[in-house]
Amino acid sequence: MHELSIASSLVESVLEFASQPPPKKVLKVLLQIGEFTCVEPEQLQFCYTAVIKETLIEGSTLEIERVSAEVACRHCGYAGPPKYWEDALSAAPVATLQCPTCGKATESTRGHDCTIRTIRYVES
Amino acid sequence: MIQIEASPEEIYDIELEHSLLEANAKIANANRAQLDQHNTTAIDFMGAIGSGKTTLITRLVEKLKDRMGVAVFNGDATTSTDGDPIAAMGVPIVQIATINGCHLDANVVSKACGKIDLSKVRLIFIENIGNLICPAEFPLGSKARVVVVSVTEGPYMVRKHPHMFLGAQLVVINKIELAEIMDVSVQGLIDDVHKLKPDLQVIPTSCKTGAGLDDVAAAILAV
Repeated sequence: MHELSIASSLVESVLEFASQPPPKKVLKVLLQIGEFTCVEPEQLQFCYTAVIKETLIEGSTLEIERVSAEVACRHCGYAGPPKYWEDALSAAPVATLQCPTCGKATESTRGHDCTIRTIRYVES
Repeated sequence: MIQIEASPEEIYDIELEHSLLEANAKIANANRAQLDQHNTTAIDFMGAIGSGKTTLITRLVEKLKDRMGVAVFNGDATTSTDGDPIAAMGVPIVQIATINGCHLDANVVSKACGKIDLSKVRLIFIENIGNLICPAEFPLGSKARVVVVSVTEGPYMVRKHPHMFLGAQLVVINKIELAEIMDVSVQGLIDDVHKLKPDLQVIPTSCKTGAGLDDVAAAILAV
């Protein structure tokens, strides 16, 4: 349940922003989660609501956007979406580090971060 | 709940590019720099509860302790039982109790580094909490991350936990002496790993018979 640590660190950052003058009310936080991370959006939503209770940003909403993965292959020069493992038995196809064109190992170039993009607020 | 009625012109959007994983990653990088300065290598062992991380580390310590200074950081939610056989060998061990936390983070590893004399230690084995999901997001500053899976966990452990393998530098498939009894194909697990990451080294082991342990020791010393 690492979503709780991530939610705590998210709320800490937003509170730091919200507590600076001028006084403001945070309405919405936009968070981007990369496809290569294993942060579960629904659990994160749940933790966010729990963590913001009785804080300056209680009542704000969290919007989560998925960032699709991208890889680069140093063997054949391919750059773009990863190869997906379709029959891995998982609910959704699994993004892999196998090159879609030559089958060798690639490196991920996008999709392994969890980033606060925007904070929407009104001055109060 | 109080609803704020704001006209559109009063709403502000502030654009940030603030990574939530960066705080841990920064400490991990600092750990790595500190270890490099002392010419010390840390290896992080991750795997499910019961995959055999502790026994594997104990066997590796037995093999290597007379050749170089070794130490163990043992992450465990509550107890110190895992570390006792290692402490009995006279090897420095730091017990990291996460008090029900599901992963180690770079900060606790930084504190653990302060508890041992790094100038006397060439190799640190870090045993992460038994969990195949959470530790993936939290690098510790180790030079390599090892995932330990055992055949007793069934044939689908790799495909069920892809994230763990994508970030690993070595995979150990443990308890191979039980593969036949469990009706689990070791080659099937190896093939699954290579579907995720074709260049990832996989070593089948048995801590019971000793099979593969020299290869794991050699792979660790080569990182």
